[in-house]
Amino acid sequence: MSAIQMRSIEKSFGETPVLRNVDLSIRAGEFLTLVGPSGCGKSTLLRILAGLEAPSAGSVVIGDRTVNGVRAANRNLAMVFQSYALYPHLTIAENMKTPLRLRDLSFTERLPFAGPLIARDKHRKLQEQVEETAKVLRIEGLLNRKPGQLSGGQRQRAALGRAMVRKPVAFLMDEPLSNLDAALRIHMRSELAELHRSLRTTFVYVTHDQAEALTMSDRMAVMMDGDILQLGSPEDVYNNPQDIRVAEFVGAPKINLLPGEVDEAGHARCGEVALSRVAAGAASGEVRIGLRPEHLAVVERDEPGALTGRLVHRENLGADLYLHLAMADGKHRMVVRTGVHESGHIAVGDDVTFVRKRGEAMVFGRDGKRLSLSEAPRTSIPEVA
Amino acid sequence: MTRGSAHWWFVGPALFLMIVILLMPIGIAGVLSFTNYSLGNAGADWVGLDNYEKIFTRSTYEKMFGATFRYVFVVVPLSVGLGLGAALLINSTKRFGDLYKTIYFLPVMAALIAMAIVWEFALHPTVGIVNSTLERGCGSVLETWSWYAHGCERGFPLWLTDRDYAIWTVAFIGIWQGFGFNMVLYLAGLTSVPRELYHAAEMDGARTAWDRFRLVTWPMLGPTTVFVVTISVIRSFQVFDTVEAFYPQGGGPSKSVYVMMFAIYEKAIQQNLMGIGAAITVVFLAFVMFLTLIQRWLIERRVHYT
Repeated sequence: MSAIQMRSIEKSFGETPVLRNVDLSIRAGEFLTLVGPSGCGKSTLLRILAGLEAPSAGSVVIGDRTVNGVRAANRNLAMVFQSYALYPHLTIAENMKTPLRLRDLSFTERLPFAGPLIARDKHRKLQEQVEETAKVLRIEGLLNRKPGQLSGGQRQRAALGRAMVRKPVAFLMDEPLSNLDAALRIHMRSELAELHRSLRTTFVYVTHDQAEALTMSDRMAVMMDGDILQLGSPEDVYNNPQDIRVAEFVGAPKINLLPGEVDEAGHARCGEVALSRVAAGAASGEVRIGLRPEHLAVVERDEPGALTGRLVHRENLGADLYLHLAMADGKHRMVVRTGVHESGHIAVGDDVTFVRKRGEAMVFGRDGKRLSLSEAPRTSIPEVA
Repeated sequence: MTRGSAHWWFVGPALFLMIVILLMPIGIAGVLSFTNYSLGNAGADWVGLDNYEKIFTRSTYEKMFGATFRYVFVVVPLSVGLGLGAALLINSTKRFGDLYKTIYFLPVMAALIAMAIVWEFALHPTVGIVNSTLERGCGSVLETWSWYAHGCERGFPLWLTDRDYAIWTVAFIGIWQGFGFNMVLYLAGLTSVPRELYHAAEMDGARTAWDRFRLVTWPMLGPTTVFVVTISVIRSFQVFDTVEAFYPQGGGPSKSVYVMMFAIYEKAIQQNLMGIGAAITVVFLAFVMFLTLIQRWLIERRVHYT
């Protein structure tokens, strides 16, 4: 187990740049998720770390060894692939034994028939290691089956087992859950997080699903267009997105974004509604104001600062109810989170009035960067909103 | 009633054609193989197993089996091996792959009869390019090889007319002609090997090309290999045109190239001995049938993994 540094990694396929000067340092033993939409370069970054792809520029350091030019087989990393990539002609036990065989046995010891006779003890030891790992993953009963006879979830476990059976520096996972059905995927999330806690090895996990990133990781790196936009704990990334693209990508349903502007006093305002906090040092001009659905609340009567929209869609998730509202200007949609019993009576077509919770709005400048807001003296607010 | 007969209208045409052009001829050949029928004769005598007895006792037919099996056991492994090797090499080159493909596939496309004539010239003992090239090597280090020294002294072999060399020369031409086809089949098979398996093998520590081949390529080519081997065996059993082109007068020096197809042709067509020709055909059919059954068994047992 050791820390991993990726320094100024660049990669382009022909003329197309895929990664632009990415720096990433992975702490020893952490669960780091690379998350982003398809084509953002997250898988490429992982494959560069694995050694399956060579960077156009930059260096990869594992522990204190620079591994540029060291082939994947010699980096002592283990990888779980999206398609699992199990060898279809081998049983699960043989699949799991393959990395051990290739690393721990010499050429003659690997020969069929003769090998087990020459090095009986070694072979027995490998078998024990496989059985131990299988026990951890609860796939002892599947060891003699072939991958073709297993379900998706079982194959997933077998692929994990093949990665786990030796002690690698880090586990690299390339969207390992995306081929599973929804229920199993959610179940496997907690199982992977538990596995990480018990193995205490570095996990580098690639996904396009922000929910997986939020639920499992110690830290997550949001990638877009070949760049890491933000790296931080899931709470930090969700509550304090530093870029409008991060704010939009993380969180489901998506954050509500309203057009606004900063006035001379530094207050961001949307129409007549102004925020009490001040965007310090920001030049006046257009901004975008972001409010997450849970930062909005339905009210019965009109209040100062309240907004109204017509309900176009109700998304009932059981515990929560999301109201999709078309705003009066006809251009914007807002999503409000509410409870089923408080707002269950509202029907599609009704007008809904809602207010924001104070102090939660995020303001993004025209370049998409977050503007920091600070509490302004109350007296300076002419209209209280 | 109409409900009960509709299916016959669907399978009928196929069934009819299969019976008329496949099963009936086989059946007739089977019946003829127990007679001494000749084309043009009004009738034929029932001779029982006489024809088969001849096939399995007379020395001509012993030579026939010898030549056929020699040919098959040389051509099949080499043409499959070379086909696989060429396919792997072409698959690994980034440039000129198409050019190589075309070059290796050319002999497959060429008419074998025409190619046989070209080879006949090339292998001609005095004016042929093969022996004249070999003679130029005389006096060089190659003479340390005793076979070569012997050739320089007494003349190089008469490739096509020496009974020690004839069958191997014909087999060589068969390989030259056939491996391009196997290569194309293997190239198709290689495209279906998932790339991720190679990446998985690399992560698992498969450092050498041999490890990758053993772990991924060869097992994934299993279905292709079964098909390629079966096709090659059947094609090798069927070899006829080169033999006919080189030795129209009967099976080469001391009948050393007297392969089954040629024997059928000689007996049944040239000598009009339909009975014995039919018997050889039935034996031939049995061989091919046996191989096909092995192929089916292998496919179902071993090489399909899902």
